[in-house]
Formats: sequence, C-alpha cells, structure tokens
Amino acid sequence: MGGFDLSLLSQPTLSHYLVLGAILFAISVIGIFLNRRNVIIMLMAIELMLLAVNLNFIAFSYYLDDTAGQIFVFFILTVAAAESAIGLAILVLLFRSVGSIDVEDLRTLRG
Amino acid sequence: MPSVATLAFDYVPALPEIVLLVSACAVLMIDLFVPEPRRHVSYWLTLLSVAATASAILYVFHNTPVRTFGNMFVADAFGDVLNFLTCLTVILMLVYSRGYLAARGLFRGETFVLAMFALLGMMVMISANHFLTLYLGLELMSLSLYALVALHRESGTAVEAAMKYFVLGALASGLLLYGMSMIYGATGTLEINRVTTIIFGGHANRTILIFGLVFVVSAIAFKLGAVPYHMWVPDVYQGAPTAITLFIGTAPEFAAFAFMTRMLVGSLAAVAFDWQGMLIVLSLLSMIVGNVIAISQSNVKRMLAYSAIANMGFMLMGFLAANVNGYSAAMFYVVTYVMSSLAGFGLVLLLSRAGFEAENLDDFKGLNQRSPWYAFLMLLAMFSLAGVPPTVGFYAKFAVIEAAVDVGLVWLAVVAVLASLIGAFYYVRIVKLMYFDDPVDKAPLAARSDMQVLLSLNGLSLLFFGIFPQQLMGMCVVALTRSY
Amino acid sequence: MTAQTVIFYAFAAILVFAALRVITSRNPVHSALWLVLSFFSSAGVWMLLHAEFLAIALVLVYVGAVMVLFLFVVMMLDVNFDKMREGFRGYIPVGATVGLLILVEMALVLIGGYLPAGATPSPGQTGPGYSNTSALGRQIYTDYAFPFEIAAVILLVAIIAAIALTHRTRRETKYQNPNEQVKVSRADRLRIIDMPLEKKE
Repeated sequence: MGGFDLSLLSQPTLSHYLVLGAILFAISVIGIFLNRRNVIIMLMAIELMLLAVNLNFIAFSYYLDDTAGQIFVFFILTVAAAESAIGLAILVLLFRSVGSIDVEDLRTLRG
Repeated sequence: MPSVATLAFDYVPALPEIVLLVSACAVLMIDLFVPEPRRHVSYWLTLLSVAATASAILYVFHNTPVRTFGNMFVADAFGDVLNFLTCLTVILMLVYSRGYLAARGLFRGETFVLAMFALLGMMVMISANHFLTLYLGLELMSLSLYALVALHRESGTAVEAAMKYFVLGALASGLLLYGMSMIYGATGTLEINRVTTIIFGGHANRTILIFGLVFVVSAIAFKLGAVPYHMWVPDVYQGAPTAITLFIGTAPEFAAFAFMTRMLVGSLAAVAFDWQGMLIVLSLLSMIVGNVIAISQSNVKRMLAYSAIANMGFMLMGFLAANVNGYSAAMFYVVTYVMSSLAGFGLVLLLSRAGFEAENLDDFKGLNQRSPWYAFLMLLAMFSLAGVPPTVGFYAKFAVIEAAVDVGLVWLAVVAVLASLIGAFYYVRIVKLMYFDDPVDKAPLAARSDMQVLLSLNGLSLLFFGIFPQQLMGMCVVALTRSY
Repeated sequence: MTAQTVIFYAFAAILVFAALRVITSRNPVHSALWLVLSFFSSAGVWMLLHAEFLAIALVLVYVGAVMVLFLFVVMMLDVNFDKMREGFRGYIPVGATVGLLILVEMALVLIGGYLPAGATPSPGQTGPGYSNTSALGRQIYTDYAFPFEIAAVILLVAIIAAIALTHRTRRETKYQNPNEQVKVSRADRLRIIDMPLEKKE
C-alpha cells in the first residue's frame, strides 16, 4: 500500500485524465448548487460540465487510438457555442422583462 | 496514402429529412418577402412542407433497416412510423394554434421555421444510428424549442419558463454526454449497433459501461420528464404560450421515446437487467407523484403537465418489461398519449382568445351549455388520459400493465392501477365542471373550420381506436419487430 | 518524473483551481475570466493527449468567441450581484457534501474500473508525419458529412433564434426614405385654406 501514493503521482494514465474529468464534473455540479440564484454562473458551470465531457472523450480517443472521440468533441464545441448564444439571448430577454437574472425573482411559476 | 474523399452515400433513405430541410430554408427566405398582412402564405407553405415530408416518408417506407451516411443514419419501419406520426402531430399543432398565435403576435415566420427545425431535429433523433447524430438531433430539437418558448417576449412568464427549460435542458445534455463518453470508453465505438455487438462479444468494460448507463438513463428521464427529473415540466407547460406547450407536450414525446429505444434497446440491450431496475424506480415515482400532485392544481396547463409526468411513468412501465410486447405496449402508449394530449390542449387553445388564456379550471365551467360538442370532445380527451373505457387510453393502460405483469412485476402493476384511480379524480373533476356547473365565461367559441374538423376527428379517433385498437397495436408491433 | 508528467500535474492543478474560482467568485466578470483560464489549461491537457486541433479550436472558438459573448452580456446587464450572493454560504455545506460524494463515487468507479484489471489501454502510436488536423478534417468532410450538415442547421437555428429573440426595431432611429421624398407632391406639404381677411365685427 506504500506504493499507492507514489503510483497516483506517476506518469498520467487514462485513469488520471478520467479523474480530472470527474473533478471538473463535480465542481460544475457544486457550482449549480451553490449559485442557485445566479443564472449566469449556472451557464458557466454548464460550460465546465461540457469541458469535463470533452476531456473524457479526448482521453478515451487517445487511449483507444480512435479519432471518433475527437470528432465528437468537435461537434460538442460547435453545439455548445450555439447553445450559449441562445442561452444568453434568453438571459438578455429575461433581464429586460423581469429586470433581474436572480432565480429568486423567478417565482411566478409556482404550484 | 490519403484516400480519395468520397461522398457517395445512399441519399434516398434520408429523402424526408432532405425535403424538410430544403423547404424550411425556402420558407425562411420566402417569409422575408411576404408582407405582414399576407403572413398566412408562410403558414400554408409550412403546412405544405410538413405534408410533403410526411408523403416522402410513405414513399421511402422501409420494411428492412437501411443504414447509410457511414452507418450514422438508419431508416427502418420503427423510425418511419414515428417520423410519420411526428409530422402528423406537427400539422395538427400548426392548425390548432393558428388563431392563438395570431392573437398574440406570434403568427410569424420565425415560429414556423423554428417549428420545422425542431421537427427536423426530432426526425434526426428518430433515425439516428450513432451517438453523435442522436445528440445533434436532440440539440437541434431542444434549441428550437427553447427559442419557441421565449419567442413570446412580452410575456414575463414565457421568458422565465424558457430560462428554466434552457438551464435544465443544458444540464440534461451534459449528463447525456458524460454517459455517452463512458459508453464510448467502455466499448470503443459510438455506433449504436456496434455497441451492442461489442457488449455481447464480451469486449466491454462492464463497470464503466454501467457507470455511463446511469448518466444516460438520467438524461432520458430528464427529457421524458420522469420523476425525480421532472422539475422543469410544470413550469414550462404553464409558462409557455399554450400553442407552444401543445408542441412541447406532444411531438417531442415521440422523439424522446425513439431516443430511449435507440439507446436502451438498440445499443444497451445487453445490460437490460441494469436499466430495468432504474426504470422501475422512475416509473413508480412518476406515476405516484404525477397523479397525486395533479389533484391540487388549479391551472389546467399545470395539471396537464403533472398528467404528462404520470403518463410517462405508465409508458416506462411497459418499456421496462424489456421484451417486444413491452416495447410495443409502450409505443402504443406514447401514440395514444400524444393523441389525447393534442385533443386536450387543442380545446384549451380553442377556449383562449386575444387577451384571455383559458388556463384555470373555472374556465371550463359549463362548457356543455356553451357548446355540447366541444364539451364532448374534452370529455373524450380527459377519459382517454385517465384510462376510462371505451377510450383508447384504457386499452393503452391495459397493455402496459399486462406487459409488466407478464415479467412478474405484479406489485408495480397494482401500484399503477391505484395511481390511475387517484388520477381519475382530477380528470373527472374537469368533466364535472363542464357538465354540472354554470359557465363563468360566456364568450362565444369561435374556431376556423379546418381546426373544427381536425379537432373533431382527433377527438373521435380516441373513441375509434379505443373500440378497435388492434390496427394501431398491430402497427406498433410490426414497426418494432421489423426493426429490432 | 518526465516533463510530460510535470506538465500534466501543473495544468491539472491550475484547471481545478480555476474551475473552483469560477463557481465561487464574487463577481461574474471574474468568474468569466477564471473560466478563460480553465479553458487555456484544458487546452494544455488536450495537447498532452495529442488533440492539437481541438486544443487550438478551444482557445480560438471558446476563449475568442463564446467567453467574449459571456463577458459582453455580463457587462451589458446592470445587475446587482451582491444581492445574489445572499444565501450562497447557506448552500455551501449541502453543495460541498453532494459534490464530494459525487466526486468520490466517480473516482472510485473510474480508478477501480481500469486499475485492478491492469488493463489500462496503451496510447495509440502516431508517426512523425501524422497531422491531427488533417486526420480530423478528412473524416469530418467525408464519413461525418451527415452530422456536419446537422451541425450547420444547429448554427442556423442559433442565428435565427438569437435574432428573433433579441432584435428590437428601434422606433427612435431617424432615417430618410428617398422613395417617399421623391414622390412627395404639393398636396402633402402645402395646405391652402380659406381665411377671412378681417375679423368680423
């Protein structure tokens, strides 16, 4: 067991990249929890989640020696850019009509 | 060494998608040159395009699966049937919502074009044979729907609903992608039918595979609106303009069902035992939570949202049987749910007019005195959603319960029966309001004749297929057995 | 410890720190800037995985376009962000617990999924003449032509949606319409009225 700590800091393996992806994913989930009132930070947390996913795909792509994973990331980047554009457009509309981007103020829809 | 690039694909199986994409772009351009008072030109062109797409589906109908575009696209009976039904649903949605959209300044080219692109996204999802096309179709549909919800920018609630829909939808996409990346890592491929082969061949890393499966099932539950991933459904149904709610609550259900089938049956059938357990939890919670919370709702759209959640729970109960009977029962359930939901929301749209939303249960009071025929149609829709014979909803519930009992899940079937009894209460309450109360709102009901005809046919079909369900059920069975 | 190992840990540490700052910053402008740093360090990690094209695309597309869009929106909206921080501390225990649980479970699965079997796949070998960009390009424009078209439609939808949602025709804008100016006639400008010359007594 003494060698375990050393092996964790060894040459990066697939597991290292996946754990890094998992850390990013967890940070993004925590971010959505913590910033429940601020929509714009939520959007940034979602970007972090996509970053985690992209890291996974690229790591697998490298270790499987298959470009399909990298091409998937290419498309994720494209879609994520389109998604941010629409998300920010809705955010701007929200600010214009509600005068706030605070989730606490979004209480009209309750039941 | 560089190979000669080739684009020599078989394009014919994708004819419906090509027709739709080309005509959507054409409508987008033509709409720019249509003056405001003649906006109905764009509307009719949109209807024509969707009808042409539906005809193209019938023209290329596939009895055996055909895969093209480098194994990314599959055209099979299952996909063709669902694509066709989705097109029909969009046509009905456009006809039903014309008056509503016009009264709210939403009778615009963008609405039609976004609806067509959403339809294209659904069709891409339904015909996907690769995780990438599945994801891209899902995003194309979702992005168009987010925009459609927010298009009514004067309405604070619509924008608020759009924001919630967007954030939770983007989160669901994130979960889905995480799950897909794990399945890719475990199997080394992204092609749906090759994933199955590799898992059956025993070449997959099982731990990672199940780990990815959890994320994928969560994302599917999000899209279906199954408890505990249902938070967005009531808010979006209530906040969106009713015409858009009708759209969100109907056609995408087909796409979500196809997504689930492609993912869980098409690629992950080998781990059916694992996803069965997860679906049991989702199904159980959805049936109970949906039906119980729906009782306390005073807003019709919100009530129908909880009804949608409960109904997805029933659908999942059929699906989790994980055999052809179960899948066809679930498919039948989705088809009938969409039919009933179309009729129900169609009537909500009919009762609304400029500056007035028929959103509250009280707006249905005394509908029988105002128009016995519309009251009867609403009665059929409510009975069908509740599962009262002789409407088609009864047969659908019967089929999914039977599928669950066949695989030994008797306790789940018992819970389902109890849940549907609780659910019957709130549907029957609307019927009571329509027939035994005096109207609060006495405004005359006006609708265009095409809407009247289609809505009546829609309502009567609930009765017709309730009495003669064999044809529709047979279609679902054939579609599934010819494809899987 | 090879250079590659050192680089990996350096970039990973910066990435995790920057990501944490994204979600804990007081000011969304800072969050956005920390997110830029996260993207840069991710691009570094991707380079280690031989995904050169994507690493560059991430910096160009994400940092160059998407993050600028984020910053633009944050600065355009005049939001009182301090008010929104209320309750932030209250969420920390729950958020941190949930996050740590997720992380530990995921890490267990991911490490356990590969290490015990000793089956950590070995990376692919690429020759000196290998170009990541042309390898991706060759596939995207041929085998992936169908998804490529769908992605194009998604971008079109984003354009339509963004314009339809946020475009406002500004009524206060003054402009000339030469067509109307030319067509103007005397009757539009001049009104001849009958008027008595003197007040009636």
